[in-house]
Amino acid sequence: MENTISNGELMLEVKNIHKKFADADVLHGISFTVRRGEVLVIIGPSGSGKSTMLRCLNRLEEIDKGSVQVRGEYLAKEVDGSTVYAEGDELRHILGSMGMVFQQFNLFPHMTVLENLLEAPMQVKKMKREEILPVAEELLRKVGLYDKKDSYPARLSGGQQQRVAIARALAMNPAIMLFDEPTSALDPELTGEVLKTMRELAAEHMTMVVVTHEMAFAREVANRVIFMADGNIVEQGTPEELFGAPKEERTKAFLNNML
Amino acid sequence: MDKLMETTLSILAGSKITLEIFAATLAMSLPLGLLAALARLSKIGVISRLTELYIWIMRGSPLMLQLLFVYFALPLVGIKFDPLPSALLAFTLNYAAYFAEIFRAGIQSIERGQYEAAKTLGMTYIQTMRRIILPQMIHRVLPPVSNETINLVKDTSLIYILAMNDLLRVARTIVQRDFDMTAFFIAGVFYLAMTAVLTWMFKKLEAHYGKYDF
Repeated sequence: MENTISNGELMLEVKNIHKKFADADVLHGISFTVRRGEVLVIIGPSGSGKSTMLRCLNRLEEIDKGSVQVRGEYLAKEVDGSTVYAEGDELRHILGSMGMVFQQFNLFPHMTVLENLLEAPMQVKKMKREEILPVAEELLRKVGLYDKKDSYPARLSGGQQQRVAIARALAMNPAIMLFDEPTSALDPELTGEVLKTMRELAAEHMTMVVVTHEMAFAREVANRVIFMADGNIVEQGTPEELFGAPKEERTKAFLNNML
Repeated sequence: MDKLMETTLSILAGSKITLEIFAATLAMSLPLGLLAALARLSKIGVISRLTELYIWIMRGSPLMLQLLFVYFALPLVGIKFDPLPSALLAFTLNYAAYFAEIFRAGIQSIERGQYEAAKTLGMTYIQTMRRIILPQMIHRVLPPVSNETINLVKDTSLIYILAMNDLLRVARTIVQRDFDMTAFFIAGVFYLAMTAVLTWMFKKLEAHYGKYDF
């Protein structure tokens, strides 16, 4: 498993990205790579910049410096000291290869569960309803919510909504899935079902980048863990290395607090 | 009894122009208001600023003055309309400004996460607006839109200033002729009936758009 990943296709290559907001520096030169089938988990204290970093990968935030490459194509690169983003079809193609799951689910409340899944494939990919319907239904079965397909999101629990959100992202058939604290808005008893769905996805060798506070999940599912603090990568390694024998004081202090 | 019937029929005839102005204004000012709301939210500064100016002028001056301006002042620069088109122009521009602000507030009340979800799914601005934002916006703005719509029914009475025989002007003429207040009561009943129908329709609309809220 380790070997197949380390030789696998480079899915994400992030080099030296910097991000400033009006009032604060958030990212100070982050670099990492993700290979096909890899599950990269990013942990760190609140305000460490990990969510911002994730949002830079699909341009929900724009970087000020550095480059982001997705499967060999540049989403953003530096040209003569300024950041240039891909445009037009190229940009759409790059962004289309990534799906995202949000902390607040962000399902479309005026659409049923099934309609949430059909919307983007039909509108964006111009697929016919009968083409995408079996795919969507299969995804709902996979996340265990087929019987809720005609319900509106407000009728579902948070955990169910998040599983629908995962299925909705998967309906676009992405190559990489980004998870931004997918269980942080959930009651503790509901996190399990979402983590189970993510675990199943990882077992199918989906390439995943996960920002989370769930240490047990990181330990069990991640191929590699990055610990971030104050906009920097403090330490990275396999879960065994990072949780078993952290090198940096900062990492040790954080893990002691969390566990 | 005959007199009551005659008064009622006269007022009914006057309601025709009232309803025409009402329906035509609504049909034009709602889409124009939506366009103005999107223009007001435009990232292009000059478009947003110009729309703001338009909204300020229309909301900041009396509708009566706007009616008079269109009918009496525009001809001075060579733009001349009959009373009915004059009234429709002034009413539409005026109501579109109010609707624009209602729609703008409605659009801005939709959570940022909805835009982000649509964006990460690859939807364009137009798809996001049409499929995700506006359907949710409509549900939220129905109560204030209902308010404005009911106001419009009553504001139509201002067209008497352009010598059009609307419901209220007909009633007033009858009262002044006969020294009998009955016509005013009948006019009141007509307005109440119209707003009752509107209230009922908006209730239905709210129920329709609210079916996904619990």
